[in-house]
Amino acid sequence: MIECPSCGRRQQPLLICADCGSPLAATLDCFAALGMPRKLTIDLGALERRYHELSRMIHPDRFASSVARVRDASLRATATLTRSYRTLRDPVARGLYWLELNGEKLAENNKRVPPELAELVFEVQEQLAGMHDAPADSDAACELAAQVVARRSQLQATMDASRAELERNFVKWDQRPDEKMLTLELKAILSSIAYLRTLIRDVDRALENSKAA
Amino acid sequence: MARIFGIDLGTTNSLIAAMEDGAPRVIAVGGNHSALLPSVVAIAPDGAITVGECAIEMEPHLTVERDGRVSAIGFAGGQYGAVIRSVKRYMGLGGDEIAPEDRARYTFADLSGSVVRFQIGKRVLTPSQISAEILRALKDGAERALRAAGKDEKVERVVITVPAYFNDGQRQATKDAGRLAGLEVVRLVNEPTAASLAYGLNKRATGNVAVFDFGGGTFDISILSVKEGIFEVLATNGDTHLGGDDIDRVIVDWLLAELPDALKLDRHVWNSARMAAENAKKRLSDVAETPVAVDLLGHSIRKHLTRDALEKMAEPFLARALKRCELAVADAQLTPADIDAVVLVGGSTRMPLVRQRVAAMFHKEPLCSIDPDQVVALGAAVQASVLMGTQGDMLLLDVVPLSLGIETMGGVMERLIHRNTTIPTSVAEGFTTAVDNQTHVDIHVLQGERELAKDCRSLARFKLGPIQPQPAGVPRIEVTFLIDANGILNVNARDERTGREHSVDVKPSYGLTDDEIERMLEEAIDLGEQDLEERLLISYRNDAEQILGALRKQLGEFGALVDVGERGRMDEVVERLEAARTGTDRELIAKLVEELNEVTTPFAERIMDAAIKLALEKKSVEELS
Ligand SMILES: Nc1ncnc2c1ncn2[C@@H]1O[C@H](COP(=O)(O)OP(=O)(O)O)[C@@H](O)[C@H]1O
Ligand SMILES: [Mg+2]
Repeated sequence: MIECPSCGRRQQPLLICADCGSPLAATLDCFAALGMPRKLTIDLGALERRYHELSRMIHPDRFASSVARVRDASLRATATLTRSYRTLRDPVARGLYWLELNGEKLAENNKRVPPELAELVFEVQEQLAGMHDAPADSDAACELAAQVVARRSQLQATMDASRAELERNFVKWDQRPDEKMLTLELKAILSSIAYLRTLIRDVDRALENSKAA
Repeated sequence: MARIFGIDLGTTNSLIAAMEDGAPRVIAVGGNHSALLPSVVAIAPDGAITVGECAIEMEPHLTVERDGRVSAIGFAGGQYGAVIRSVKRYMGLGGDEIAPEDRARYTFADLSGSVVRFQIGKRVLTPSQISAEILRALKDGAERALRAAGKDEKVERVVITVPAYFNDGQRQATKDAGRLAGLEVVRLVNEPTAASLAYGLNKRATGNVAVFDFGGGTFDISILSVKEGIFEVLATNGDTHLGGDDIDRVIVDWLLAELPDALKLDRHVWNSARMAAENAKKRLSDVAETPVAVDLLGHSIRKHLTRDALEKMAEPFLARALKRCELAVADAQLTPADIDAVVLVGGSTRMPLVRQRVAAMFHKEPLCSIDPDQVVALGAAVQASVLMGTQGDMLLLDVVPLSLGIETMGGVMERLIHRNTTIPTSVAEGFTTAVDNQTHVDIHVLQGERELAKDCRSLARFKLGPIQPQPAGVPRIEVTFLIDANGILNVNARDERTGREHSVDVKPSYGLTDDEIERMLEEAIDLGEQDLEERLLISYRNDAEQILGALRKQLGEFGALVDVGERGRMDEVVERLEAARTGTDRELIAKLVEELNEVTTPFAERIMDAAIKLALEKKSVEELS
């Protein structure tokens, strides 16, 4: 239960007081904060409309002249709202959050290479090392850099494909949310996306460094 | 309820605006009915402060007298009083972040502190205090204008705009300035976002908007999505040290290329050249070629600048700005073709080259129907009316420009809040102890995009605790990092077991502490109450001390330039002034200072002349060999 800082009414945790419409600094999960069903598939248009509607009601700009207690509630409620919206809007962040809600988590620093990516990862690392060792400005270095750029597009394409697969599977998983197998599948795709993301960042950084050198 | 005013606290110019019959209007605060108040603050040796046009006249520069002689006038800096322009560049900087060229321009008190401090006469002033003078001038000017219009209204609550790319320290310093000026800063608003509000008010537009804000000292690019009165910033990028000032500096280097460094850095010479350069730059927005001249003592520099040459000088700066644009568009997950409208803000967007390049980048003619000098202040007034609840369902959702994180093992920056996250936002992070019976946990908060803590900007440090002695890893403390709608960080800590709130004493790495601000406020009051007579006497004595000291130094170095008769006259006045200085006759001291000034003027001019001749000779010898 939470008490409204404006009218004092005690109520179920929500971002808006059911009585007076003032903001409430409740601790809520992302789906509840936005009043969306706890599902992996989300209507992004509806999500945005809901977000804008709630923002109009609780944003600190609406309470600039209120007492400190109400201003503080508005600040905290809006922080919860924006964070929830960001999480749900992005399919990968949403998937990860959904796992967390179901008591699952990706391995902390995700060192293990997902098996289906092993070969690709090996090749990328080989190329990066080569680029690092090649004398700066040499023909070999330029050649390697060009190869790495091509490799980056390949990684990006693989990642886009994984994201598309993720969203396709959302529908399937939503129908049978309790099956352990499905959770494992979700976890596998999310790990490989997370892994690809780190890899792409490493590639970008290596390219950046070689340009700076 | 009291009206909220909108303030554009610019690097070059500042403005104040308010809603009037449903439309934002700037208020004329300048003497000449102009809305633009130059952000220039002059501080006389006695501490007297002047802001705006009049302060510019006190900048050290060379001027041609009616009889054709050139003389050096203005507050020369340091003990002679100083004129500070572009103080916004120094907001939120630590002493160690001052560039060498700035050191030639101004006199700073110790540069080791967490805040830049200008040394002016006996006073030491921080950038926030100097900005507070600009804010006070806006407040006074607006109240005067309102009174003249028959309205007895006070300016007490304000919205102040800041560059979108300002970091936490720079924002905090701006808020501090407001507080020091006795204003309640209801909200800080990002300048490009404010500009979009000004444009969005009349046209209920829907679509993606890019705001390109290229002013005197800062550059910002913001990408917004506008939909049914909601202005949602998708991404922002920029450079808080990039603007028209940089172009002026390159022109000055070209203009003074033949002079030796020592002379280039002379504050009188440099400022005169800067004024000439800026004026030439502005003319070249309308014409293709212009003469540029600086009159030095006995010599003058006359050159011609073409628009082509200027554009070559400006190109590297523009390239930096455009690179930032690309990054912002990519961060918004858009391409330039997705942008429906481009808005130009800031004086430097008057350059034809800037317009062309922005149009080429977005394949669109940019909008500039609202005066680029005023649009930010007008937008601030719109946001002020949103805050007063008189703007219907209009709402601004802005973002934090830089990632926020903490230093972890091995000096790595762990990102907790990513750049371009909508604010307000918060994140909770659990902390525990690493060794048995540890009673404190040190946390170092950082801002920036680099991987290593040492490459990010230190934002604050704080100690969690005291923690009850327990085995390592047992205590659980949850720290909430909350960024408010101003883009400023707030920290909270809670013991997860007891649910008790920990007090967190956050020590900002840069900037003023609350205590320091309190002290400054008290000082300001003390200063006002101190006996005026006594203050005047002290300042006259200081004047005497300064002129005597300077003369002693000059005689040491250039004694050969004085003839015997002249020396005798000088010595006689010096002796009388030395005696008067210890007395209390303020008028006598003033009179003698004046007299000494007079007898030493020819000498001072000869020194300057000799220095220039020497420099030019050296130059021609170099050219010959
Ligand atoms: N006509 C012009 N052509 C080129 N630059 C101009 C022109 N007018 C003003 N500027 C430049 O614009 C800058 C000031 O712009 P402004 O938007 O007032 O800056 P800020 O917001 O940083 O105070 C200065 O560098 C000035 O030289
Ligand atoms: Mg500006």
